[in-house]
Amino acid sequence: MKEASGSRKLFSLICLIGGLVLLIWSLALDFMGTKAGYRGALLVIGIIGIIAGMYFLPTLKYHRTLIYVIFLFPLLFAFAVTVIIPLFLGLFYSFTDWNGIRYKEFVGFANYARMFRQPSFIWSILLTALFVVFNMILVNLVAFLLALLCTSKLKGMGFFRASYFLPNLIGGIVLGYIWQFIFSNVVTKIFSGMKYSMLASTNTAFIAIIIVYVWQYAGYIMLIYITGLNTVPGDVLEAANIDGANATQTLFQIKIPMIAPTITICTFLTLTSAFKQFDVNLSLTNGTGSVANFMGNYLTNGTQMLALNIYNTAVVENEYAFGQAKAFLFFIILACVSILQVRISNSKEVEL
Amino acid sequence: MKKKLLAILLVSALAASLAACGGSSGGSSDGSSDGSADGGQEAAASDEAIRLLNGKPEIDAQLKELAAKYKEETGNEVSVETIGGDTNASDELKKMYQADNMPDIFVIEANQAANWDGLLADLSGEAWTNDTDYELVDPDMGVIGFPYTVEATALAYNAEILEKAGVDPASLTSPAAWQAAVETIDGMKADLGLTAVFGWCAEPANLGWSSGTHVFAQYLDAGLAQDDTTYIDLLNDGGKIDEARMKDFAAFVGMMNQYSDPALLVDGTYDNQVAGFAEGKYAFVTQGNWINGAVTSNAAYTGWGMGFAPYAFEDGIDTIIAGPPSYWTVYSEGKVDAAKAFLQWVSDDSAQDILVNKAGLISPFNDCAFKAADPFAESIMGYMAAGKTSGWHTMLKKDGLQNVTCQVFADYAKGTLDQDAFVSTMAQVISSYYNN
Repeated sequence: MKEASGSRKLFSLICLIGGLVLLIWSLALDFMGTKAGYRGALLVIGIIGIIAGMYFLPTLKYHRTLIYVIFLFPLLFAFAVTVIIPLFLGLFYSFTDWNGIRYKEFVGFANYARMFRQPSFIWSILLTALFVVFNMILVNLVAFLLALLCTSKLKGMGFFRASYFLPNLIGGIVLGYIWQFIFSNVVTKIFSGMKYSMLASTNTAFIAIIIVYVWQYAGYIMLIYITGLNTVPGDVLEAANIDGANATQTLFQIKIPMIAPTITICTFLTLTSAFKQFDVNLSLTNGTGSVANFMGNYLTNGTQMLALNIYNTAVVENEYAFGQAKAFLFFIILACVSILQVRISNSKEVEL
Repeated sequence: MKKKLLAILLVSALAASLAACGGSSGGSSDGSSDGSADGGQEAAASDEAIRLLNGKPEIDAQLKELAAKYKEETGNEVSVETIGGDTNASDELKKMYQADNMPDIFVIEANQAANWDGLLADLSGEAWTNDTDYELVDPDMGVIGFPYTVEATALAYNAEILEKAGVDPASLTSPAAWQAAVETIDGMKADLGLTAVFGWCAEPANLGWSSGTHVFAQYLDAGLAQDDTTYIDLLNDGGKIDEARMKDFAAFVGMMNQYSDPALLVDGTYDNQVAGFAEGKYAFVTQGNWINGAVTSNAAYTGWGMGFAPYAFEDGIDTIIAGPPSYWTVYSEGKVDAAKAFLQWVSDDSAQDILVNKAGLISPFNDCAFKAADPFAESIMGYMAAGKTSGWHTMLKKDGLQNVTCQVFADYAKGTLDQDAFVSTMAQVISSYYNN
């Protein structure tokens, strides 16, 4: 393939032009609103034509780049359709009065201004922050202790590891309903002093969500800690042992410093996943619970976290544009957390 | 050469995968209802068929039978798609609208009409509108909703227990009469085998629709004429409530709280509530005639009669809420004429036979000759004949309000709010819901 032949050039051009024409034609058909059934086929043939044209394009300089683009195309296409386009569409809708069916007018920043005047939304933000803090500490603590237990030389470790990990394999919704039953029917029977289920009042329901979440997630984080603990070299531990370090000293002076990167990863994993908490929240309490006085209001969404608040705003309250604006704020918060995470893990890697 | 062959192979594999992607996405867009609506296969059967989106999974089989009958009688095809369970029809409709895949007839609740402004066909002038009082009329859009069933909600009672206790349900039209009756029944609990007088459940997470929509509906409509919109208008005017009426209502709910089963009241479930009623543990239950299937199919049900008593929280309240909770509407850009012909046919005898006798619905049409198999039917028809029904105006409240009010009911039931606090809290949460 040293010299571009004339026929090859011609073929490539025909493919490119033909593909473009088909593509534009099918898009035009779509915009004109015809019901022609063949326009999907036109679109696909058009795209294939363009790709073939690009592949056979007789250029040496850009050949590599073109091939890369062609082979990345399926991924780029899927990424654009499922992530990039919805992101920008969502941003666009958040400035309108979209109700899930269509929008009538642009409202500017009204949706964004409105959410900060809504006490129930502010409550959801604060509650989510509180939930994140509790979970970051509790999940990591429990998971680390379980990991220590599961790396000790006890019998039947495989069984214990598997059973601690098992809750993570059950879907959050199912898990929520199972625990709802436990809280309403089992816990109330064990502690006969309890008149109603833990889920009936806000404070105890919040604790219930934390319990279920830790139960679900600690097993997963435990696995990461086990991997971390197993990477601590045996000779270092042996040396410490010979030097007369006891178990506590080995733990705090050797093991924990050696698995610092694992701790960072686990902290951020629990942080982001706790932020996005939705399924257990939905199935366990559906956001119910009352708060007697918050910013002068009686709130009825005592255990409703951010993701559930957004979902309810859009789907239940039928305010899709408003929900979209809240979702965008949620996106910004999560993006900041993720960027922070990447920064910190990168700097840690340099240190090591 | 080998390399070239490989390259061509790779490109064709890529092209094939692309074509497969394109093919499957195209396929799912014109049949996107297939996954979620179990009638989708038939939808693809013919382009001529009109498509009906049903929101009641329990009558899916009967509607398919209805479609078969229509085809037999007229030769026209109707395909029924059912949305139900945890997906609700209005969400699915939004997806269908975005995908340009709208059914010709679809189900809506009254307060969703405004969302579809301009997209619903005006059905005024159709013959069936003369045979019913329950069509959905919008001042701007005309007659837009076809009523396919009447549902009623009030305090469902177990006739056998009331008879044994010597309480006449027809006399329960004032708070004093209720108080006396409830005390009588409560005193005979052991003899009657009752756990509690009321099977009333204010659990908010899963039963919020019951307290927040249906029980709250009694505040809005009890005692009012079918088309009286006094309190819903007040509510939709920025979330105002009538304090005096709410106070009386609160007293009545307080009585229900007091005489309800404590195991059910705060953290019960719908299943326990209905099963308890079927097993004869409760004299009254705060549901509607949709529980009939669950009650009559319960092994412990012994065939006693059922009926409805009004929530008489003020003197002289003698109506129950009855009417269509949802309607069939015709999509104005779909096959309007075929859909109108179908709806006309549904209002006539051969279709009503299936809907009433097989699906167990109560007909909203005056000229319907069939009597529903529903054990509540006699009581409901009695109220309908006497003109003692109130509207389902609770469906016109702002979307999602039930999630706010149900929590106030739950706190009242739990005892963290007293009667006065219930009224003031209700006023505050509703107003803040409407204004934030």
